[in-house]
Order: sequence, then C-alpha cells, then structure tokens
Amino acid sequence: MITPPTTIAVGFDGSSSATTALRWSLALAAPLHAHVVVVNAAGLLSRLETVHSHQDLEDAVRRVGAEFEGELDFVRFEVDEGDACSVLLRAAHDPINADLVVVGSRGHGVHEGLMLGSTSLQLAERSSIPVVIVPSGRPGRPTEFDRTASSSPS
Amino acid sequence: MRTLVTNADVDDTRHEQPDHPERPDRLTAARAGIADLHLGERLVVVPARAATQDELRRVHDPAYLEELGTFCYEGGGDIDQDTYATYDSWSIARHAAGAGLAVIDALSARGDGVGFVAARPPGHHATRDRAMGFCLINNIAVAAATLSARGERVLIVDWDVHHGNGTQSIFWNDPRVMYVSTHQWPLFPGSGGAREVGGPAALGRTLNVPLPPHAAGDALRRAFESLVEPEIEGFQPTWVLVSAGFDAHRDDPMADLELSSGDFAWLASRVARYVRVSGRVALFLEGGYDLVALRRSVAATLAVLTDADVATEAPTHGSVGAEEVRRAHEERQIALRIAEDTHGIEEQ
Repeated sequence: MITPPTTIAVGFDGSSSATTALRWSLALAAPLHAHVVVVNAAGLLSRLETVHSHQDLEDAVRRVGAEFEGELDFVRFEVDEGDACSVLLRAAHDPINADLVVVGSRGHGVHEGLMLGSTSLQLAERSSIPVVIVPSGRPGRPTEFDRTASSSPS
Repeated sequence: MRTLVTNADVDDTRHEQPDHPERPDRLTAARAGIADLHLGERLVVVPARAATQDELRRVHDPAYLEELGTFCYEGGGDIDQDTYATYDSWSIARHAAGAGLAVIDALSARGDGVGFVAARPPGHHATRDRAMGFCLINNIAVAAATLSARGERVLIVDWDVHHGNGTQSIFWNDPRVMYVSTHQWPLFPGSGGAREVGGPAALGRTLNVPLPPHAAGDALRRAFESLVEPEIEGFQPTWVLVSAGFDAHRDDPMADLELSSGDFAWLASRVARYVRVSGRVALFLEGGYDLVALRRSVAATLAVLTDADVATEAPTHGSVGAEEVRRAHEERQIALRIAEDTHGIEEQ
C-alpha cells in the first residue's frame, strides 16, 4: 500500500513546460490536501539578473494559482542555488522533505532533443522519491485516472 | 627566479554569446596579467593542441562527448540556463583541455617552472556526462587523470568561489587524486558541504571548506593552515594542479567573498610548497568576471610564483568565517567516522 504524497516539489523556471507541470501539481495537491513547494533552481546567471527575477517567477506562480478555486495557502515558493537536477534532488531532504517531485519535460532554453541538459531524465535516474514528468503538450490538470493512480498500490 | 610556462593563444573568440559574462575578454584580461609580470625570457609559451578522444574519455562518458560534438556541429545553442555552446565550441573546448596537457608536458620535460593554463571555457563544473555552469569539458580533470595514469599523485586545489562539483564527482572514488575546495556557501552549484569526504575507496580524498558570504582572506588563511594543510601533508602529492578561479575577488559580480589580489598571492605561495619537486605546479583559469580584478589577480598570483614584481592589493581581514571553518573541521571528522564505520560494516 502506498500513501498519497503529502509534499509535492515542482520545478519551476517560468517556461511553458514548467507552467504545465505546476498546473498539474496544483490540481493533484488540492484534493489530496498536499503541500506544494514550487522550487526554482537559481543558476550562475541569476546573480546578474539576466534571467527571470525571483519576483517575476513568484508572480507567475500566483497567476497559475489564480486559475484554481480556493486559498493557495498550501503553496510556497523556494529558491535554491544550483543546477535544476541537483536542486530537485535536494528537495527530497530537509527542509522541504518532498515525497513527490514534478517537472516539465523541458526547461528554459534547452535545445529540443538535447540530452545534455535534460533535467527530467537525469532526475528520473537519480531521485530517491517518485518523479512525475509532465509532457509539455499535455493539459495541465491531472485526470481522474492520475488521481486514482497516485493513491493506488503499485 | 622561476619560469612561467603558459599555452599559446587558442582562438576562442567564436565561443561567445551576447551579454554572457563568460566571454573572450576574460582571456584578454588574464593575458594582460601575464604581460604585467615582464618576464622576458622567463616566459615560455607552448603550442596548444586539441585533447584527443582517448584523453577526454578518461574523465567524460563517450556518449556525452559524442552528443556535445554533434550539438556544436549542428550550430549549438543553450545547454541550460547558464551554459551555451556555438558551432566552434567543441573545437575550442578540446583545445582548452589540450592546452592544459601541453603545459604539464612542458613542465615535465623541463623539470622546473610553474604552469598557467590560460584557456576557456572553464571546466570545473563539467561532470562526466553533463555540461553546466559555463563548463563543457573539465580541463583540470583531463590533466589530473592524465598525470594519474602516469602514476602521479595529484592534488587539485580549487579556490574558485564556486564549488567544483564536476571535478569532485569525477574523482570521488579515486584514491590517486585529492580534491580540496574552498568556496562560498550557499552558492551555485549547491554542493561542497564539509561532510562530502570522498567515496569508499577514497575516504578523505575530498576536502571541502564552505565559507559564508563576506568572508575575507583571514578566513581562507585559517582554513588552509588549520584544516587543509595537515591533510595534504598526509597525501604527499607529486603534482599540484589549481582550479584558479578569481571570482572570489571582492569586485567580482558573481559572488560575495571579499578577497583581494594579495589573498590570491598568499594562496599561490602556499600551494607552491605542497610538492617538493620543482616544475610540478600548474594553475588552470576557471572563473573571474570582473576584468580589472581578473588581470590584477592573475598578475599577483603568478608574480609570487615567479618572483616578479607587480603591485598587489593587501591581504584582507574580515569578521566572518572563523566559526564556519571550525564547524567544517568538526563536520568532516564526523562524516569520516560515519563513513569508516559504514565501510567497515560493509567489509565484514
């Protein structure tokens, strides 16, 4: 018997793929009463503010959250310095202690088809907790099947 | 009066992206720092060459090299939010790794002098199978693995402000290479905690000293004197390679340490003592993004190694870092005890 996730970490860099993953996570979390920790991996260039500022990203998270009914007090935003894969691997540990990690299939600026920067594939190989990779073309809300599957024995 | 051995220019101008801080001007600044030494005949410039596939495969997965090469030949682009490649980057990166090999070969043949590898892109974030943090090929790891294959015991000292996660991971379980890093923490890439001490076959061969933001030279000196040097004494390296990033300088925009060019000179004077045979120390340029600070720091660092006379900023003193160095020592001892206990249980 597996238990539904209580803390979902979702990687978010403002890309359309990450936004799809965020929608999927919020839709999954609400009926499960799970917490959602939106995690942004701050790279080297974040120091120079040549990429999305953290405030821009928090605003983007709020806009996605506004699509859902009810309070979003189960959602919080965390910034951690590092590459996206390492940051999301660390989400399984203190202080986030996630038991599910969700990512989009492609992050910002990564060449289509290129494995070199594929966070999702590296994460799936190395994660100690379950990983959901949400395809970019997929509608954001999990289906009834997804919700059932998340709480069913494997 | 020691000789400086460095590599000839590699045309790196086509590894560039508009407004990116890892840019060709950095090498121009570093070379200006060398020129400031006025070494005359004591400056030996060796031709750079491309590292071979066999040399690169000592530290990188063949599949990764294949993919990186193909990506470049298809025109390149963004690899991640920090790291880019262009059509020419594969060739330029292979020459950057080859420049390091050319310098260590020249030092080996001469039996004297100190080496400085002025090449880009930098390398210490590149892992076996991943480009990241501006890095495509891990230049210092390629050199260390080549020396190690010749039976040398290689010490890598990494004083770049960022932890060299790629180098650490490549040699994590290799007892022939010791990796020592001082870096700001927390900071990209997020690794480099004091409890990271090496794999089962190389316990203690990784040594990390994370320093808090705004730590200055006195914290670094304390770290080396009280924590790093006793462990190096036990390793007895036959070669010392330095990941010489200069982004811990107080003027650098990428981080918050408060070092001066005089602090880098102090570090250089210490690492030169770690190997008894002459001609066995080589520095590899890593980070450093303020061009004035980079030029001054390269000059000050190499001046102390070649007895040249240049203006050097005074070493710095601050009010933070001592407690973190003490804590790093404690955490390291705890991690080593746990790892040794665990390893002992596995062996029984």
